Amino acid sequence: MNSLNESKPATKMSLKEHARQKRAQSARSALTGYMFLLPWFIGVLCFMAYPLLYSLYLSFHKMEVSPDGSGLSYTFVGWDNFKYAFLRDNIFPIEMFNFWRESILIIPVTVLFALIVAILLNQNFRGRMIFRAIFFLPVIFATGKVLMELFAQGQGDLPFAEQYDLSNMIYDTFPPALAEPMVGVLSKIIIVLWYSGVQVIIFLAAFRTISPSTYEAAQIDGVTPWESFWKITFPAIVPFIFLNLIYTLVDLSTYSYNPIVNHILSNMGNMKTGYGYASALGWIYFVIIFVLVALLARISASLNQRKG
Amino acid sequence: MARLLTKKAIPGKPGLSGASLDRVKRLLLGQKLNDGLIFKIFTYIMLVSISVLYLSPLFYMLSTSFKDISDLIDPAVHWIPRVLKVENYTDAFRGLYYFKALGHTSFMAISAAVLQMFSCALTGYAFARLHIPYKNMLFVIVLLTFIIPTQTMAIPLYVMFSNLGWLNSPLPFIVPALFAQGIKGALFIIIFRQFFSTLPKEMEESARMDGAGALRTYWKIMLPLARPALLIVFLFSFVWHWNTYFEPALYLKNEDFLAMSLQMDFMQGRLNDMSNSTSGLVAGTFDMNEPIKMAGALLVVLPPLILYMFAQRYFVEGIERTGLVE
Repeated sequence: MNSLNESKPATKMSLKEHARQKRAQSARSALTGYMFLLPWFIGVLCFMAYPLLYSLYLSFHKMEVSPDGSGLSYTFVGWDNFKYAFLRDNIFPIEMFNFWRESILIIPVTVLFALIVAILLNQNFRGRMIFRAIFFLPVIFATGKVLMELFAQGQGDLPFAEQYDLSNMIYDTFPPALAEPMVGVLSKIIIVLWYSGVQVIIFLAAFRTISPSTYEAAQIDGVTPWESFWKITFPAIVPFIFLNLIYTLVDLSTYSYNPIVNHILSNMGNMKTGYGYASALGWIYFVIIFVLVALLARISASLNQRKG
Repeated sequence: MARLLTKKAIPGKPGLSGASLDRVKRLLLGQKLNDGLIFKIFTYIMLVSISVLYLSPLFYMLSTSFKDISDLIDPAVHWIPRVLKVENYTDAFRGLYYFKALGHTSFMAISAAVLQMFSCALTGYAFARLHIPYKNMLFVIVLLTFIIPTQTMAIPLYVMFSNLGWLNSPLPFIVPALFAQGIKGALFIIIFRQFFSTLPKEMEESARMDGAGALRTYWKIMLPLARPALLIVFLFSFVWHWNTYFEPALYLKNEDFLAMSLQMDFMQGRLNDMSNSTSGLVAGTFDMNEPIKMAGALLVVLPPLILYMFAQRYFVEGIERTGLVE
């Protein structure tokens, strides 16, 4: 690492030798880099790569405890587990459909709400710190059993929703295919809003990336605040909107009380279907999430390119 | 209010109207969008109403937890119970095995959070600053691990931990944290990477010039600078480990190791058992009601809440300064 001392005689060094030394130094620094990554690398191998491959293997097999009790036996069944999920299982496709239908509403609502809150919190006003403390509170609670308990007691809907009979209004104005998920979302709207803590933080941080001088310059040019939001703020945070959409999607789908997750778990203990089938369900689920995330990332990247 | 003021300004004194109208306009609308009075009032109204929405479940929890049965069914008693029934809490304490669960879960959450904080900082720093061939490809792996649902890997992990004999112990939470994995480990790596890449390069370079090795530079210079990010990651990690439900439900099958998040599920059964054994002659089940559930729920979230109250200021400021995303 004492590159200074080493490079002193370099003036007299031939070019070839210089290149060799440089290569050696770069190899050394690469080695240091890999040393730093070593713990993570071990972690990925043990707790990510191995379980993933194993679960992929399981999803093509039927796993049973051997009759002689000596251990586990695996019988190759090809795509049967996957076919079963769509053709025979009468819960999984429906749960999946309902979940994604609701998510299509929940995800944009969460992100939009987070954006509004972040814009409000980004203003300069008295008591800003108190409000910020309140708005980050959901980050602390939004994950637990406790919320489910509140939810079960009807604390999830808006207090005025019942008063004005919003759900009937929605059923009257929209076709049932749309109305059903809308009412579903409405009934847990507070929970949905509580899930926007991290997203608010991401937006607040995004606002900090825009330099104040841009706004000043725009103001001097006589740009109205409305225009300056759409012309300066909005383009700058578009990537973060996509980041938040992705985050919300991931957060929602790995949520412990999600019905699909429960279905996967219940199949684990089910004698008839077992671990193999549960693994297949897990993979189907992962592939769907992956495709959606990739789609969002793709759109975000192409928007970015057009801008640049 | 806004209309009133403008109306006054227009017909008021014709000679002054131009200037005063301007001044009123500026007062109300401000120079920019966000320093006018109307906008300020609007902001406050929005913030206060959203805060009420946010806090109402908490208040509901608090008020219900002190109610007795008669208060609970009395529609006249909405927020403030007539008598404070503290027994709800003592019942919840017993039903949750509170102290045992508190000790176990604190140990698990604190050690996992500390380990995750250091291991993810190390990884994030390497991704942000060190020369590593194929770095971008490796970082794609980090992003991938972020979106893989735990459920996909639940079975292999369960089998693996069961073979290792780690079930019913905190090890399935602590060991992955040591290797920058575990609950949302990938997210923390991303946060640290963003944070370290915003720090100026000069300090590192001057440390190198003085002959400090990479590890020493990291430990003595970069890590202390990362304090705001460390705090945020610690808090997130602690809270998420505290609240996690899926993993404990999977790995903790008996009462050797108690995760707080699971205890709500068992509270009712335990209270039923206890009431049967203590007052054995009265063959009735313990009347499990909403107030006890709410008291229990409040007890479960109390430790992270207290932590948040203390760390809140640094937390909010930290988010201001980290530039979490850049």
